[in-house]
Amino acid sequence: MSLLTLLFLVLASVAMLTLGVLAGRLPRTSPGVLAAVCGLGTLLCLPPLLMGPDATGLNLPLGPPGLSLHFALDSLSLAFVVMIFLAGTAIAALLATAPGVPQTDTIRTTPLCIGGTTLALLAADGIVLTLGLVTVCVSIRPRAVAAPIMILVAVCLLTPPGYAPRFDAIRTAPADLVHAGAALALAVASVATMLWRRPDKSGPVTDMLTAGLLLPLGSYLLLRLTADLSATSIQPWYGFIPLLGGAAAAVAQGWTAAASPRIDNAANALVLRQAGLATASIGLLLIARADDLSAAASFALNATILTVIAGAIGGMLAVLAAHSIGANAGTFRLSRLGGLIQLMPGASVALSAALLTLSALPPGMGFVSLWLSFQSILSAPRTGGMLSQLPLALAAASLALTAALATAAAVRIAGIAVLGRPRSPRGAGAHETASRFRTVMVTLAAVSLLAGILPNPILWLLADPAAHALFGATSRPASAGYSVLAVVILVAVASAGAKLLPWQSRREAKRAGPWLDGFPPQRGLPFGEPSAQSAGLGFLPDLARPARPALIRIPAIPALPKISGLWLLLAAFVTFLLAVGISG
Amino acid sequence: MSIVLPFAAQILHAVLVLVAAPMLAGVSDWLDARLTGLSGPSVLQPWRELIRLSRKTQAAPDNLSPVSQLAPAIGFGVTLVAAILVPSFALFTSLSPVADVILIVSLLAVARVATALSALDSGDARSGFRQQEVSALSVIAEPAAMLSVVAVALMAGTLNLDSIIAQQREGTLMPAAASVIALVTLATLLVTDTTQADDHLAGRELALASVTRWLRRLVWLDLIGGIFLPVGIAMADAGPTAWLIGLGVWILKLGVFVLALAALSAVFGRIPRRSLPGVLGVAALLALLAVIMVLASAGTA
Repeated sequence: MSLLTLLFLVLASVAMLTLGVLAGRLPRTSPGVLAAVCGLGTLLCLPPLLMGPDATGLNLPLGPPGLSLHFALDSLSLAFVVMIFLAGTAIAALLATAPGVPQTDTIRTTPLCIGGTTLALLAADGIVLTLGLVTVCVSIRPRAVAAPIMILVAVCLLTPPGYAPRFDAIRTAPADLVHAGAALALAVASVATMLWRRPDKSGPVTDMLTAGLLLPLGSYLLLRLTADLSATSIQPWYGFIPLLGGAAAAVAQGWTAAASPRIDNAANALVLRQAGLATASIGLLLIARADDLSAAASFALNATILTVIAGAIGGMLAVLAAHSIGANAGTFRLSRLGGLIQLMPGASVALSAALLTLSALPPGMGFVSLWLSFQSILSAPRTGGMLSQLPLALAAASLALTAALATAAAVRIAGIAVLGRPRSPRGAGAHETASRFRTVMVTLAAVSLLAGILPNPILWLLADPAAHALFGATSRPASAGYSVLAVVILVAVASAGAKLLPWQSRREAKRAGPWLDGFPPQRGLPFGEPSAQSAGLGFLPDLARPARPALIRIPAIPALPKISGLWLLLAAFVTFLLAVGISG
Repeated sequence: MSIVLPFAAQILHAVLVLVAAPMLAGVSDWLDARLTGLSGPSVLQPWRELIRLSRKTQAAPDNLSPVSQLAPAIGFGVTLVAAILVPSFALFTSLSPVADVILIVSLLAVARVATALSALDSGDARSGFRQQEVSALSVIAEPAAMLSVVAVALMAGTLNLDSIIAQQREGTLMPAAASVIALVTLATLLVTDTTQADDHLAGRELALASVTRWLRRLVWLDLIGGIFLPVGIAMADAGPTAWLIGLGVWILKLGVFVLALAALSAVFGRIPRRSLPGVLGVAALLALLAVIMVLASAGTA
């Protein structure tokens, strides 16, 4: 079954790449076909997911001798493939139902990105992995083509001398400490390069692809290269690099989300915050794995996977809702929005669900991953003295701080944009988003809320098999101790009781205008002066420029004018030459 | 019997916290007044206020969304559940398996969020700006609270509150210095808690918001009393006699805490609003210090 699934997935990725190349000729049918392929792929992944997949490999005799293309499917890659295909189905469905002919760039980018991501997830050697990553970067992040090269170098560093950069060869002969450390640093830098984007380069499809595809892909790369391929070479202090780097990124992005004046930038910052949290969880996983503490490692892996799922679902929902609001209210600026729950109830509810998922409030998914991360810190090794424990303490502080920042961001976005009164005439004229957007948003919102209340089935399906495959965890699932359903029911009963209590006043509520501190409303402003409300500008100051660390500018290839098959071939050829050169 | 007694203790605890929260507010107001030389209101004044507010006819501004109508009830429900999860007179009641310290602190955050959203929805300038200030302060206060409970959880090796209290009773939570620092942090957070009912609420919504505020204070007191002074707490399956002793000790502890808070307020006055960020920042750093101490002591043991 697993081999058939792998074969289908390889064919599906090739089909999606072909679809991307031919998108200009098939503008109307391309999104529909893509949605069908992604949906079918999700369905075909279910049987091995439910039965527990056996690790399966597939070699395609393409390329020079000894460097044919190798694919593999195991529990870890299957979990991420399912996430990618679900996200791809949502994005493709959105494109397929768009009125008129979608833009060629959009319908080309989407299949190329999904196909490239699938290829990277199924890769069992450095060449296929790099090919997939190059495709992804060329399609969505043209300025980050250095990222695949860094990953290729990392794989080559892990490969034993005299071998082709194949994963099975790496597993049989673990790399030394220096190479493993360098590979880890390169992997972290590569993922950061791939996920980072300029705030002004924003678009609904690009942002959804970043949340739904790049975030899981980045986490998968870190897990594959560190927790799997170089697991036996990893020292406990290696985990401090992703732990502290990810925690710092999560805090910085949480602050950005809580202070950003634009709703789309705030949503994107919340997505990047999830990436930071996932990286920090992987750091915890590496620390626990190096000390052979399977319970702590299992908690950390569960936290990673749930953070990625929350980032993918909540992130796609948040950016979709933010762009719908921007398009229909005429502005992305929070200070000019307001009262959208009356004008755009569908988008408002979707945005609220996304904020619950991305923040750390119960019963959202973000809270579950926070809980699992703290459980992992609780079970982390207590050896090595002050120096090795200090990063754990700092990580705990960062987790708590970024949770509070995300809560502040959620209150600010929901309180200013969704609630209150409109703050501008254009904002007052906002209209509800199209029904196709609403359908996708409501579906994503329902899934995210359900997953927050009942995370255990998801973790049982996706995380526990991966934990078993990565470090042979055979103890009870780490997620088993979490139960928020009882609390949700209790809160619902208590709140309903308070609301429905037979209060002594029997009279109907008196309708009244807004309370204006006793003053009559101004002429022409029957609901009061809109600008007298909080505009969300004073919640937190903008993250001061001096407080930001100097960004390392990674040499980037100039933006490609057109993506075409020729560019892909050229990139593949350069990658191939580089791989041959490095591996000797 | 092993199920019935914990369940009965849980029900009794829920009723007690609902009754105790307004009483505690009344006693606190009375003590505040007495210590400043005034006669003070009756300790039953909060109950009278609740009755008065519940008789008022609702005024519903036109621009209010369903969020505003639901937020006071949700805030009350969430805080009540948090109060139910924190033990008062008995340990290991029916809901103790879900009494998680991170969950309890997060439930209090949810209640604050509900209050903030209700204020922002009203469109009232004063309430909105006040909640904006409270939200900004919470960015410091909530991590401090979270780190304090995590420090204690790290000492106990579990996030379950009842297990933490049980270990504290046996004196196995080490190092004691970290416990003291966490206690100072939580006490600071209790003193500087800025959550309050807002001007935009009236009638039954204001009544609910007031009860929520009193319950929140009780949660903090129970949390501090349970973790750092777990004297006299009975086991839920020990039976009514042990419960009575636990109940008496709980009332005594609450009385001592309220007296101490009133005395502090009378001697030093209230903390000025402009000083709150600094005070909360110190509390957060103390909480981080407690976590470092716990981890470092375990790492060198």
